[in-house]
Amino acid sequence: MMKSMMRWVLMAVATALSAGTASAAESLSKDLTSTIALLGLPCGQVVTAQRVAEDDYLVTCKDKNRYRVYVNAKGRVVAEKR
Amino acid sequence: MNEAVRRKDMLPLLSAGLLVLLATAGCAPFERASPPAAGVEADAPKKPLAEAQGAPTPAPEVKPAAPEPAAPPAAPPPADTPATRTVEPAAPATPPGAEKPAAKAPAEPAPKKQTAAAPAQPPLDLNALEKRLKDTDAIGVFTKLTLKNQVDDLLAQFEAHHGGANRTSLAALRQPYDLLIIKVLSLLQDRDARLANDLVQSREAIWSILSDPAKFQRLVNENRS
Repeated sequence: MMKSMMRWVLMAVATALSAGTASAAESLSKDLTSTIALLGLPCGQVVTAQRVAEDDYLVTCKDKNRYRVYVNAKGRVVAEKR
Repeated sequence: MNEAVRRKDMLPLLSAGLLVLLATAGCAPFERASPPAAGVEADAPKKPLAEAQGAPTPAPEVKPAAPEPAAPPAAPPPADTPATRTVEPAAPATPPGAEKPAAKAPAEPAPKKQTAAAPAQPPLDLNALEKRLKDTDAIGVFTKLTLKNQVDDLLAQFEAHHGGANRTSLAALRQPYDLLIIKVLSLLQDRDARLANDLVQSREAIWSILSDPAKFQRLVNENRS
């Protein structure tokens, strides 16, 4: 009985954690999508975002464009085509 | 005998059918009831938007305005100028009703006050607006930073214009200003409608600060200090 309850609790925790991670990834991709759009670059939608360093991401767009989005030393957001 | 058996067989089917009927009947009013509830929130930003653009659309509000004369005290939005202004079109709405002269009397003086208040610009608190933009969850960090960069670029253009270094006319600066506002609004409108609404309301007030050299200089000095 206790074992099955523990299993359920673990499953619930795992589900909650994965949901949280998914929503964080989704909000990051939305953020990067609107950033690239604001910079006037073609992208459509960010599909994957790989973190290179702090405030530095390697992004792949739905239209196959790839960018490095980062904050430069002057505090400006830059999207470099790769 | 056979009929009795058939009836017994039909009983679960009938009861299931009845349940389905009840369930669908129960759902129907919910579907209809929910849109107005959502509409209240969704309409809130839209009305001022239309106003800001000077859209003369009193017609759609004609009908709901008629029962509203009694509602004004119940409306909490009076604190917001947009809500009071949206009632404005209610004034022309009452005459077509023309049912009770007693109802007309209280309805008419109210619009006069509102029309007098309408030309006054909404109170603009730039610092509060800036803080709300910084704090909102509707825009991500990267996007906020990108927007800030673009705001800074635009401010630099205004500074150059007022300083005489840049010969671009104010009319030419209005276009990037509008574009920037639209960008921010497009980011806000779905996830922070209230802030989007307030931004729309402040649009002209912000422009008046940017376009006036004295006001602009004061703003720059405040930011530097």
